[in-house]
Amino acid sequence: MGLAIGLNRSATMECISLSESAPIWQDILAQAMTGELIAAMNYTSLSEICDDPEEVADALEHARGERGHAARFAAEGRGIGVDVPDNVDAKHWKRLREAFLGCIADRDFIGCLIVQEIMLESFAVASYTRVGRVAAGSLGKTFASIAAEEEEHIGHAMAILQAERALDPQRFDDKLHRLHLDVMTTLARMLAKECKDGHCEVCHASCVKPSLFEVSLSAAELRGASQQQYLKTLDALGLPGEVTLAWVAQLPV
Amino acid sequence: MGCSVAGVTVDFALIGHQESWRAAADVLAVLRGPPHGPLPDDEIKDILPWIPPRAVCHVEVESTGGAKARGLYIDSFIPPDRLEAAHTHDNMARVRGAAACAIKAGAKIVSLGGFSSILIEGNFNQLPPGQDTVFTTGNTLTVGYIVQGVHKMCEQEGRKLRRSTLLIVGATGDVGSGCARCLAPDVKRVLLCARNVDRLRRLARELEADGALVEIATDLEQFSARADIAICAASLASPSLLLGRIAPDALVCDAGYPKNLSPCAEMPGATIFFGGLGQIAGGLSFTPNFQGILNRHPFPDVVHGCLLEGMALALEGRFEAFSQGRGLITPERVDEMESIAARHGICLAPLYNAAGPLDLAAITS
Repeated sequence: MGLAIGLNRSATMECISLSESAPIWQDILAQAMTGELIAAMNYTSLSEICDDPEEVADALEHARGERGHAARFAAEGRGIGVDVPDNVDAKHWKRLREAFLGCIADRDFIGCLIVQEIMLESFAVASYTRVGRVAAGSLGKTFASIAAEEEEHIGHAMAILQAERALDPQRFDDKLHRLHLDVMTTLARMLAKECKDGHCEVCHASCVKPSLFEVSLSAAELRGASQQQYLKTLDALGLPGEVTLAWVAQLPV
Repeated sequence: MGCSVAGVTVDFALIGHQESWRAAADVLAVLRGPPHGPLPDDEIKDILPWIPPRAVCHVEVESTGGAKARGLYIDSFIPPDRLEAAHTHDNMARVRGAAACAIKAGAKIVSLGGFSSILIEGNFNQLPPGQDTVFTTGNTLTVGYIVQGVHKMCEQEGRKLRRSTLLIVGATGDVGSGCARCLAPDVKRVLLCARNVDRLRRLARELEADGALVEIATDLEQFSARADIAICAASLASPSLLLGRIAPDALVCDAGYPKNLSPCAEMPGATIFFGGLGQIAGGLSFTPNFQGILNRHPFPDVVHGCLLEGMALALEGRFEAFSQGRGLITPERVDEMESIAARHGICLAPLYNAAGPLDLAAITS
């Protein structure tokens, strides 16, 4: 992979340090960018079922924000001399999008928030945070700052979801469990240490997971951090710990 | 923190952790249930360290007098291979997380099991504040059952305690020093072994003031060959203690959690038993059913004394921090705690070791 040419010395140094592992970062960025584009599509779809003009504006604003994240990831790719492809039709991402569209079809605003904010964003926040810690320079800063922005989204949705759960905890928990079985099962397959169902259709060549150790990451760590973030989010919503523990323990590996 | 269902009464909470990967695997297997099958060992080691402290199951204990107490088992999910001092900071955070969970669930009394107790016994101020929740290390009842076990084994084997030299490994810890205070008046000589010389000297002076013959050492080798009875109560991250040249007919009580004695320890002729365990005659149940998983003993309803202390106090309706701090366990407090437990049918468990039951009554029944 060729080096990007930097105008100042520090930028050039950064490119050199990242260049050896550029193909790995390319795949990591491709997964992140695809996730952001899916999120943008989800928020756009959400705006179509909102009745309140303020909620519509909020959803569209979120969609713009997610597209902005995707653009920042693409720019980081260019910074290390790689094109960052995306594939919103890749099998796992497509399945996650379909789960969200199921909630849209039911005009289920709360279901949409659960899928996007609780499940997908938990995964994004946890994995971006880990990547942000190990990636050098601007790349690391971008991952860390996007993780912080996504965390803010979750905070906003939590207030709505906590209020909804207070109305009927059992009904809320049953709905969350139904969505968990679909969405979190798909995410667990995506995050498994090995892709047992074949190529994920996002990595540009062979699976990136066995190479993650070269950039001080591992598939097990990203999965662990994501599931921990998910459990903590469910705790904050007030779901019983022993129940959510069993849900996560039953996910595929 | 993953706390339990709002509105459910929580009289007590038990904070624990798994002492081995095998035990952790069994807990996860129950949570997964039969349709999902057990996780491969490598996956367990990758998954468990990421689980935040949380309730695992509901526990109900019944007194022989008919009273019932309901509680929660909360696991701190300290990975079994991270019990060493190098991980103290992380482990403290996990125990604090588990304690916060107990407080949020509204537990009136919390027992700290195994390493949780060791981490907290000198650091109670590090627990999160909970106005309506009290914490006990449970060490008083643990000491009671260790001492009862020693008496029972001596009686069973026809040993004269009065003529015995007692070695306590981990003597300056809360459990070790409590055992020393309870047993020193009944033995010929006490050998105290621990790492901290100042603490050893202080304990020795205290026991000598009451008339006991005491020797201290930081090197176990100096003592092991001279002991007739040994209590191993050291805070070890794994079963790694080699007692060395122990007398061939010695009686050895392994009171650690995790166990103290290494499986490689060669003690030909010595009788080993696991100490500090009690049994609930009135009944114990877990929901979901963790019977035999969270209490891995060859007899039913056997639980470590530290956890039983919280349950006994809950049955008694006495929600107080019975055991706190280090080095405060006295024979009088042990008697009081044993009496409370006994009133509810909680008594010394049948004795056993890795090879099976040792208790004559249990064997014949």
